[in-house]
Amino acid sequence: MKRRHLLQTLAATPALLPAQQTSPSPDENAVLAVDSPESAGLPVRRFFTPDQFSTLQSLADLIAPSIDGRPGAKQAEAASFLDFLLAKSPRDRQALYQRGLDTLIRTSRTRHQKEFSELPSAEANALLTPLTAKWTYAAPKEPVAAFLRAVKADIIRATANSRAVAEANVAGRRRATGLNPYWQVIE
Amino acid sequence: MPNFNHDVVIIGSGASGGMAAYTLAQAGVKCLMLEAGPMVDFNRHRSLKAVYDLPFRGFGEPGRFPHITQASEFDANLWIDEKKNPYSHPESDPYYWVRIRLLGGKTLRWGRASWRLSDYEFKGKDHDGWGENWPLSLADLAPFYDRVEPLFRVSGRNEGWAQLPDGKLLADESIESLSMERFLASAKKLGVPTTKPRRATGTLASSVNLLLPAAQATGNLTIVPNAIVREIGVDPKTGLVNAVHYVDRRSKREFTVPTKTLLLGASTLESTRLLLNSRSRQYPNGLANSSGVLGHYLFDQFYVKNTVTALVPEARGGKGPRNLMGGSGYVPRFTNLKPGKPEKNYLRGWAWDFGSGGTPSPELFPQWGTELAATMADVQGAGFSMTTMGESLPRFEHKLTIHPTLRDEWGIPAPYLEQRYTDNEHNMAKDAMETGVAMCEGAGFEVLAAHSQMVPPGESIHELGTCRMGSDPQKSVLNAFNQAHDVKNLFVLDGSAFPSGGVQNPTLTILALTVRASEYLLAQKKQGKI
Repeated sequence: MKRRHLLQTLAATPALLPAQQTSPSPDENAVLAVDSPESAGLPVRRFFTPDQFSTLQSLADLIAPSIDGRPGAKQAEAASFLDFLLAKSPRDRQALYQRGLDTLIRTSRTRHQKEFSELPSAEANALLTPLTAKWTYAAPKEPVAAFLRAVKADIIRATANSRAVAEANVAGRRRATGLNPYWQVIE
Repeated sequence: MPNFNHDVVIIGSGASGGMAAYTLAQAGVKCLMLEAGPMVDFNRHRSLKAVYDLPFRGFGEPGRFPHITQASEFDANLWIDEKKNPYSHPESDPYYWVRIRLLGGKTLRWGRASWRLSDYEFKGKDHDGWGENWPLSLADLAPFYDRVEPLFRVSGRNEGWAQLPDGKLLADESIESLSMERFLASAKKLGVPTTKPRRATGTLASSVNLLLPAAQATGNLTIVPNAIVREIGVDPKTGLVNAVHYVDRRSKREFTVPTKTLLLGASTLESTRLLLNSRSRQYPNGLANSSGVLGHYLFDQFYVKNTVTALVPEARGGKGPRNLMGGSGYVPRFTNLKPGKPEKNYLRGWAWDFGSGGTPSPELFPQWGTELAATMADVQGAGFSMTTMGESLPRFEHKLTIHPTLRDEWGIPAPYLEQRYTDNEHNMAKDAMETGVAMCEGAGFEVLAAHSQMVPPGESIHELGTCRMGSDPQKSVLNAFNQAHDVKNLFVLDGSAFPSGGVQNPTLTILALTVRASEYLLAQKKQGKI
């Protein structure tokens, strides 16, 4: 039986559907459980090149690794989310990321003859030393330092605000975070 | 067909518009309130959501609010649509105009700090020679502060200080945490006064719950949301306001409503924009602008957010006693209070909000990965921070003018805003930072970061001036009762009326001035003068 035909048959024979037993009466509104688009499919990459994206993934794992079973940037799919966010961001923000990632790729190849994602952690961490500078209100002038400061904040936030972390908090009976009043469009 | 049975039209529904309606409607005056934004239904428009369920994971839609640092993805729909409501400023001098256009205005989101101004502000020129005095003193306004504070249930502690007048407060007798005690002792040692925060209490404390329901219960208030006023009409024979022209926000259909008296409380910059856009044969430079100062003397209170961020060492690792952390406080202006030459390299002064508890941002630590995670676990709840609010001086060259070509969605000419901070403000910010570091170190705290970088003008949402009150009609737009010198049936009630602003959050003073102006209007009507 073709799938379409099966669906038509099922639609025509509602009495066979067990869901009907819990359906509301025709006069009631149904409350259905739904999920977000993010939970149903794999995201399509829009912004970073394959090299930039794999570098960002490795960088994210260094900045926010999974610790003691708690989700890190990898489980939170932070790099994939940032690809989506950067595709929509202003041009100067995009350039900051592109230049920063390209510099990391170039430095890794020149200094170690390897891709950043293939570096042992000691060598990869050594490329992040601009992050050891003391914090100043103004962003660093040096482009890689400015990029690392931005990407550190973004990865931490994208991880902390992810569904993976929220679910781990609930499962670990930790305090629920990230719940807030949301304002709809007011017309 | 409308029956036009109102005595007054009120434009705006925030602090000033709401308080005018509250005062006048209860006195038997029929009020018609025009609000540019829609009505908010807290039950229908607000629901609980998880941050991961937002389209941008809490980052917000990139570029939607380039300058509204207060906006989050949760409340993005509360703030004005920047594309439909553009404004402009010199490229070299950014101005962050932060707006909410909803019934209740910015009282839906205000910080609720409620301090009285003192004669250091009202009579500032007498004290240090700068600018202009207000045409009233603390003694004139104190009875109205006395009535507003209980209505907004302001809590705090009276100290008997001249620069921070006492109020009718709900006594805040909360016990200080140990870290706060140490900070207060350090402040005392350095001669810096401290007190409890002074805030309106309650979960909302807004015009929509404290003012408008009581006004409407009298049967004397009609509220019309979605009415964007584009121009004020004037009787060519008398020069008095006789009509208000407005546009339906949704349909863009235009309407006119006659009025005998107009109370304008559309917010500092919107009110002045409207007056400048209301040109006529009698008032070719804008309504009530025979002085030529309408639009000028734009100022605000500058903010240095997280001037100092510190750690309380004993709170690291969650090891301190339960009463170690928590609490907040306020440092009032304490510099340049003595008459004569200023003791500092600037005029006037600054204030602080400070608080114990909270976790410093991971950005401040020069680490990442497991090392940063360990640090963040260690410093959780161990933070101490302070934010500086400083007085910016009103200057003629800082101004709102009407942009020659820029229009909003409804075809109304948009404002062009020019304000920049000068050496006086920069010197003040630097002094605040240095004093803050000394106080934290004196308390034995670890200073993580300190800076004196002010946010751009406007960002504090305390924009003031541009329609200043004064005794001299040649130098001001309004008299001491917020009444236009040129147009006796026009009152401008919001922050645009301020000739100077001190460091105190302005809403309480706007509320008190509005009660005073409204009662003056009642008296004038009784005497047949309006």
